[in-house]
Amino acid sequence: MDLTEPAVLVLTSLADGPKHGYALAKDIEAFSGAKLGPGTLYGALSRLEERGWIEALPADDRRRPYQITSAGAESLAIHLETARKVTATGLRRLEVRPVA
Amino acid sequence: MRALRGAVGDPDGRPPWPARLTAVYPPRWRQRYGGELDQLVSDLAGGGRRPLAMAVDLLRGAAVAWITERGTPMTERTRSALITVLWSWVAFAATAAWFGHDLAVYPTARVAAQLVIVNQIVPDSYRALMAAGALGVAATAVAAVVFAVDAARSARRQRRPGPFILMAAPIVIAACWVGGLALLPQANGTPAGLAISVGWLLLGLAGLAAATQAVVKVVRSTEFTPLTWRIGGAAATIVTAVMVIVTCATIAWGVAEQTSTPHPGDASNWLVVTAIMAVTSVRAALALAGTRRAAAAPAASPAAA
Repeated sequence: MDLTEPAVLVLTSLADGPKHGYALAKDIEAFSGAKLGPGTLYGALSRLEERGWIEALPADDRRRPYQITSAGAESLAIHLETARKVTATGLRRLEVRPVA
Repeated sequence: MRALRGAVGDPDGRPPWPARLTAVYPPRWRQRYGGELDQLVSDLAGGGRRPLAMAVDLLRGAAVAWITERGTPMTERTRSALITVLWSWVAFAATAAWFGHDLAVYPTARVAAQLVIVNQIVPDSYRALMAAGALGVAATAVAAVVFAVDAARSARRQRRPGPFILMAAPIVIAACWVGGLALLPQANGTPAGLAISVGWLLLGLAGLAAATQAVVKVVRSTEFTPLTWRIGGAAATIVTAVMVIVTCATIAWGVAEQTSTPHPGDASNWLVVTAIMAVTSVRAALALAGTRRAAAAPAASPAAA
């Protein structure tokens, strides 16, 4: 399955430990600069949970934390490794042929 | 900074106004994530996020949730229910068309305007009837296009020409009947003229039934996508509501006409038509209610921990 950008951001944030929605939004904004809206964030959460890549933990009032599963961690690792190769190739080619 | 009305920290303790938009999410989605989403909107609003941007994002998320919602499992029961609604709608529309054409009195704005002096219910019923009818036709047209495109894709993928022939049947039948109508001699009150008119009308009804059966065969034999079934379900809900509204408007119109004019005409046609409309509306509503009950049973399961 191709990971959407919000899904990658959510999995990356959860790789650091369980978080609820607001903590996810703040962490994602801090490391990527992206301000995910509530609809986008929970859209990603619902799809990731449906695929078994994250799982819900007991809720504290209406704030329910999520944690990444082993399947989710594996999918994230594969995606980031591919992205790393693409990034490295792109940067190398830009050094050889600088953008005017 | 001026405190936003409804923001976190609002003296009244109310959630920010974008939180109300969680109501547009699918029911099962809301049951699972609604409370968390409300809390997130409150937290983000308290952190300075713009309410309007959040509202747009929530609407976009709701649209995606509806499109990707698994929805009613497409079982034989739900497929049969949609077919029941289709047959009911066809019978209803044919009855309504005949009623309007045959009487040549009720469904005209000119007559409605004349009768307004007697009873305001008449033009009001007329407007409700026309508006609902237009909505029903529009919903049917949209669903027809979506189903036709999906059926054509499926048939092409499986290299089956049958669905194409079946989908062409309603168009060919309609063209033949309407074309033949134009060629018919004018009914001039003679027995022969009357027999030709009645015969052509009965042929039209038979053609309508054949066309509907062709569509039903395509619906039964094609594996449509979940999105197509959702659009079909939405269209079925709309036309069922239209049938109920039009039936009520027709009843109101007829009762107002009968009770408000000093010498009301024969109401037997109106009674027959109203009865047919009521039966088809109830049949469609019961079929839809059956699918809702079937869909509600899995949704009552405990949410994931």
